[in-house]
Amino acid sequence: MQFLRVIWDTLRLQMKNSFVRPMFRFCLIINPVANTILIYEMFRNSGHDNFGTFVILGAGLMALWGCICFSSAGDINRERWSGTLSMIYTAPAGFQVIILGKILGNTLLSLLTLLISFVTARVLYGAFFYLPSPFLTLFSLFCAVVCFIVFSTLIAYLLTLSRKTTLYMNLIEIPIVLLCGFVIPISFLPPWIHPLSYILPPTWAVRLLRLSIQQTGNAEFFATLAILTLITALYGAASLLLYKVIDKQIRKSATLEVF
Amino acid sequence: MIIEVNEFKRTYTTYKGWVSRKKETVTAVNGISFAVEKGTIFGLLGQNGAGKTTTIKTLITLLAPTSGTCKVLGYDTFRQAKQIRPRINFIFGGELGVYRRLSARDNLAYFSNLYHVPPSVAKARIEDALDLVGLTDKADILCETFSKGMLQRLQIARGLVNDPEILFCDEPTVGLDPLGARMLRDVLKVLRGRGKTIMLTTHYMPEADELCDTIALIDGGVIVAMDTPSMLKNDGESLDDAYVRLVGKKEG
Ligand SMILES: Nc1ncnc2c1ncn2[C@@H]1O[C@H](COP(=O)(O)OP(=O)(O)OP(=O)(O)O)[C@@H](O)[C@H]1O
Ligand SMILES: [Mg+2]
Repeated sequence: MQFLRVIWDTLRLQMKNSFVRPMFRFCLIINPVANTILIYEMFRNSGHDNFGTFVILGAGLMALWGCICFSSAGDINRERWSGTLSMIYTAPAGFQVIILGKILGNTLLSLLTLLISFVTARVLYGAFFYLPSPFLTLFSLFCAVVCFIVFSTLIAYLLTLSRKTTLYMNLIEIPIVLLCGFVIPISFLPPWIHPLSYILPPTWAVRLLRLSIQQTGNAEFFATLAILTLITALYGAASLLLYKVIDKQIRKSATLEVF
Repeated sequence: MIIEVNEFKRTYTTYKGWVSRKKETVTAVNGISFAVEKGTIFGLLGQNGAGKTTTIKTLITLLAPTSGTCKVLGYDTFRQAKQIRPRINFIFGGELGVYRRLSARDNLAYFSNLYHVPPSVAKARIEDALDLVGLTDKADILCETFSKGMLQRLQIARGLVNDPEILFCDEPTVGLDPLGARMLRDVLKVLRGRGKTIMLTTHYMPEADELCDTIALIDGGVIVAMDTPSMLKNDGESLDDAYVRLVGKKEG
């Protein structure tokens, strides 16, 4: 009960705080519009019969990732600047719970990017959006959201240790988009990069979503789902372990309050 | 003893330069020992950079000691932080430490929640705290428009949301007007009357003299004197004079 109350309050606070920031609104609203237009033009002649759907998903996911990445990393810094990082760190509710609430809030709000991307493609291009099995796509989206939450938790923890959070979040945004095949399938990347793509959970989340709108066999879908579940669980376990280390390290190196 | 500090030492390591990273170590606190009795106000006084904030941050489980031990409520501040955190709170001087895009009341409600205070209890407590610090009229205005002293008053209210057994105050009167400073002094005395323990740092000697049961003078990370205010003062001296005599002898 207490746990849920903290999550719920933090989530609401986070949505409120994020939405008033012009940068966040830019990422949330302008980014998916721009992405959709650019990607639509790029794929216009791809010859793919359901390419509108791919464009919407690709552009939406890319903007979703941008929002999550910038807010998860940036929030740690904003808390630092406002002097509240040390307060949420020592609060009995637990830093991990509070961070989870923040990431949940950001992610849920950021899901709007998918809608905006859809509306853009629809209004500007009258794009054709077709889901062969809506339930499977919705389920894949849910899995993708869980995966993103776990992945960004890990990143947020790592960034509590560092003073250069802004640098790092700029550094990871685009490479993740490319490495995980958000827009362009990873088969276009040179083979020596593939192992790197495979160990990143978003790769599997994106693939699962793609498969859900292609009419391929169930076998591939469920194989991908199994891998995604496994890798997300591994990252979840890693972030739990990492937090144990970080919790000690923060207090030893005094990085919580320096910039 | 509700707080026990034994041979506590804390150093900070910073790195300089990009290519050849130079390590630099600063000793903020260099082996101090003291104990605080339940239901008393303990003052930590000293020059800028003497190590007061470092000591307080260690006691509130925000920093690890480099060596020595710090115990609060019988628990080790590094290894048993979880047991300590719900039972203490802290007030830092300055304009930081509140969510500026929330109102005063929402800030207090959020922090009550983070301290697991049941909503029914929190509601009445928040109204009391707002009243106590004189923010009832401004309770629903966003904090980004607050003046320095109003933010400081909100910090004080925030420090009370979990009805802590020990309250750590690091220069809590910074930026307060005379009435605000008196309000804080009265709050601290009332808390002591209710058996709460308070640890206080301040640069304002009359305040320390009026409030503290025990004062430790800390200089360059070591305790140079520790006693009751009246014992620290020679005949006819103010605490200010005693401070200059005890701390100033090295510096000038
Ligand atoms: N995060 C940090 N990294 C490096 N050095 C630090 C850090 N925090 C404090 N110090 C150093 O530790 C020493 C003690 O600082 P501290 O903040 O404890 O002093 P203080 O007694 O609270 O001073 P003041 O009266 O100015 O508040 C100072 O030399 C300071 O520069
Ligand atoms: Mg200080």
